[in-house]
Amino acid sequence: MIDIISALPMPLILAAVGVIFLFGKSNRFDSFLLGAKQGLQTAVQLLPTLCALIVGVSMLNASGAVEFLSKLLSPLVNAIGVPADILPLLLTRPFSGSASTASFVELLERVGPDSFAGLCASVIFATSDTMVYIISVYFSSVGIKHSRSALPIATAVMLFCIFFSCFLCRVWFF
Amino acid sequence: MLGKIFGTFCAFALFFGTICGRLPEVAAAIPDGASKAVQVTLTLLGMMCLWSGVMQVLTDAGIIKKISRIFALFLRHVFPKAYQTGEGYEEICATLSANFLGIGNAATPFALSAMKKMQMHNPQPEIAENEQITLAVLSTASLTLVPANLLALRRAADSQNPFSIMIPVWITSLCCVSFALLLTSFLRIRERFSRTRASKRR
Repeated sequence: MIDIISALPMPLILAAVGVIFLFGKSNRFDSFLLGAKQGLQTAVQLLPTLCALIVGVSMLNASGAVEFLSKLLSPLVNAIGVPADILPLLLTRPFSGSASTASFVELLERVGPDSFAGLCASVIFATSDTMVYIISVYFSSVGIKHSRSALPIATAVMLFCIFFSCFLCRVWFF
Repeated sequence: MLGKIFGTFCAFALFFGTICGRLPEVAAAIPDGASKAVQVTLTLLGMMCLWSGVMQVLTDAGIIKKISRIFALFLRHVFPKAYQTGEGYEEICATLSANFLGIGNAATPFALSAMKKMQMHNPQPEIAENEQITLAVLSTASLTLVPANLLALRRAADSQNPFSIMIPVWITSLCCVSFALLLTSFLRIRERFSRTRASKRR
């Protein structure tokens, strides 16, 4: 039952698009092509950034720095229910989408997508966003210099998101 | 920002690589990482193509606007000033509904134009206003229906069931948004409190 509910939204959205193609205006497929072309461009433009950052994350992993950091901090983070493996993701997530994608991909490869750390990382990756980046872009675009409590609140929400994701994954999957 | 992140990564990698005697592995990671970047891009490419196309169809068919209108029913309590002045309210709803469907690229231009319109009613243009803070915080803790990129990456990593995280994702994002709303509502309460105190003093 849970599997069915989880798998449902994506096919349903595609079915809705199918209905629009069949019964809507005749040029709807052109809309699809337009959007898909933009998606293609976005994805291709991602490559240069990802190239640098995945190299960075791979080097970091190979050097043993991640292992060291995880071992060093694992008593601390394990005590609060967060797997130490996801630390690189947590450290990059607030700043950059590409850097956190790179950390996330490395993490899935290292611990597996269906392990506890992999599941926690997946939920965190989907529910959090690049808050430092978003806040700086939003406020600097209108010339605001003091963002007041925006960053503290966003940080609190992100921390809540991390703890809650790990807690929920523990309850839900294990 | 990205340069600093990359620089930090390199510095740490070289430092630990030297200490742990793993410099050969670090060197080998460079070409590996570069080709892995291509793999990841290829993984995301198909999904981003499909999903952007689907969202464009839904946008052109007016469905995003309808979802945005449903959002508008709830958001008037969160953004009372924008709702009353009408400045930027539509864009706020469009931002959050684009985030809801997982089209972050479409959300940013809406958000920036909402910020600009709210800025016109900002008495102190260099200091952020409560509703601007609320919009920024809500964008970082966005409600997500279908995390398309995540599913593609999990599938590519040979997950047994890439969709298994969907319900936890929904629950978590609902709770995060509620928590964000709770925290930003304190801002409004404090503003009201300081305003009544100021009027009493007078």
